[in-house]
Amino acid sequence: MNNNGDNRASVLLVDDEDMIITSIRAFLQLETDFAINAFTDPEEAANFVKSNQIDVVVSDYLMPKMNGIQLLSRVKEAQPEASRVLLTGHADKQSAIQAINQVSLFQYLEKPWDNQQLLLVVQSGAERARLFRDLREKVGELDSAHSSLKTVQKRLIEAFL
Amino acid sequence: MSSASADLHQMASLGRLLARIVHEINTPLASIFSNNEVLTRSMANLGPLLADGSPEALAKARRIVAACADLTAVDKIACERIRGIISGMKTFARLDSSEPRVIDLNRHLRDTIKLTEAEFRGRVAVETDLADLPEVECYPQMLSQVILNLLVNAGQAIEGGGAIRVRTHRDGNMAHITISDTGRGMTDEQKTRAFEAGYTTKPIGEGTGLGLSIAREIIEQKHGGSIRFESELGKGTTFHILLPIRQTRSSQ
Repeated sequence: MNNNGDNRASVLLVDDEDMIITSIRAFLQLETDFAINAFTDPEEAANFVKSNQIDVVVSDYLMPKMNGIQLLSRVKEAQPEASRVLLTGHADKQSAIQAINQVSLFQYLEKPWDNQQLLLVVQSGAERARLFRDLREKVGELDSAHSSLKTVQKRLIEAFL
Repeated sequence: MSSASADLHQMASLGRLLARIVHEINTPLASIFSNNEVLTRSMANLGPLLADGSPEALAKARRIVAACADLTAVDKIACERIRGIISGMKTFARLDSSEPRVIDLNRHLRDTIKLTEAEFRGRVAVETDLADLPEVECYPQMLSQVILNLLVNAGQAIEGGGAIRVRTHRDGNMAHITISDTGRGMTDEQKTRAFEAGYTTKPIGEGTGLGLSIAREIIEQKHGGSIRFESELGKGTTFHILLPIRQTRSSQ
């Protein structure tokens, strides 16, 4: 959960087809309170993730300029915790295998998708991203607690020597 | 060229074409499926909200109705897209009789161009500049095959984005079709061997090298027309097809 009080999960949709974005957005808005951002241009989506935290990204595979795998690897670079989902109409297992190996996908979905399955994937993807982020925060806190303990210990030793 | 290899080529290109069409229909279909479910659920949600009647419930109901209106608009676009693809396929699939038919050539070209939209997916824009033409007597399906072949070749010659321009005009008693691309163009060797059966620059499995030799056979032997091209390396290629407006020769 975010510190700023906005605990809405953030979903990024990328598909060069406007109609797919409209459909998924309408469905997610009906079923969830997720914050949804969507782009038909993968380049714009890649720029967006540089400065905006997201929990789940759902991307098409075949797009002009940049394919879904390329986009997802850019997302992975910028935000490794975000859950990466490929939604493809490309009935090609080769691209699926490539995607799973290259960008360690959270889920691979095919068009036409099942809305209930999509919902489950997006919800669990968001949950997963938050857990990862919490974990990183806790590890950070542990790290700083550990190093301040060390400093105290060092001072103590110095005091007694 | 043997008719067996011609058949094989036709089957291979038909297979690729089908795969693209399936992909192209899948997108609007996926959208319609999803929208239909959302609309059904929204209807179910509207009942209780309207029965409630409070200002908040009515405001929510209005938001749902607005969202539904957006989805029905998307469905219309999706259905039109599918209809466009199907109408292109009808043209392509119409069985050719052994006799030539008199057709609206420009319309026929537009339908054939529609079939390539799936392949190009916005990467390549196909622009048309079609002049008024009298009806042309030809073998429409064979002609589609030639045009499709030239368009797909042109698209493959373009790396990244680019444009293909299809033009028609009347040239005496001939209809003149030109197809130009902004692609990589041909080398001198490619230019000399372009129409040779079995010659291809494409990776194994992608091209049979029969497309242009079949195109020439169809245009010259079957229609008594001519096909030629000019190409400049790094600039692009333009194909010219001249078709007699009326078939004077008896068909083979």
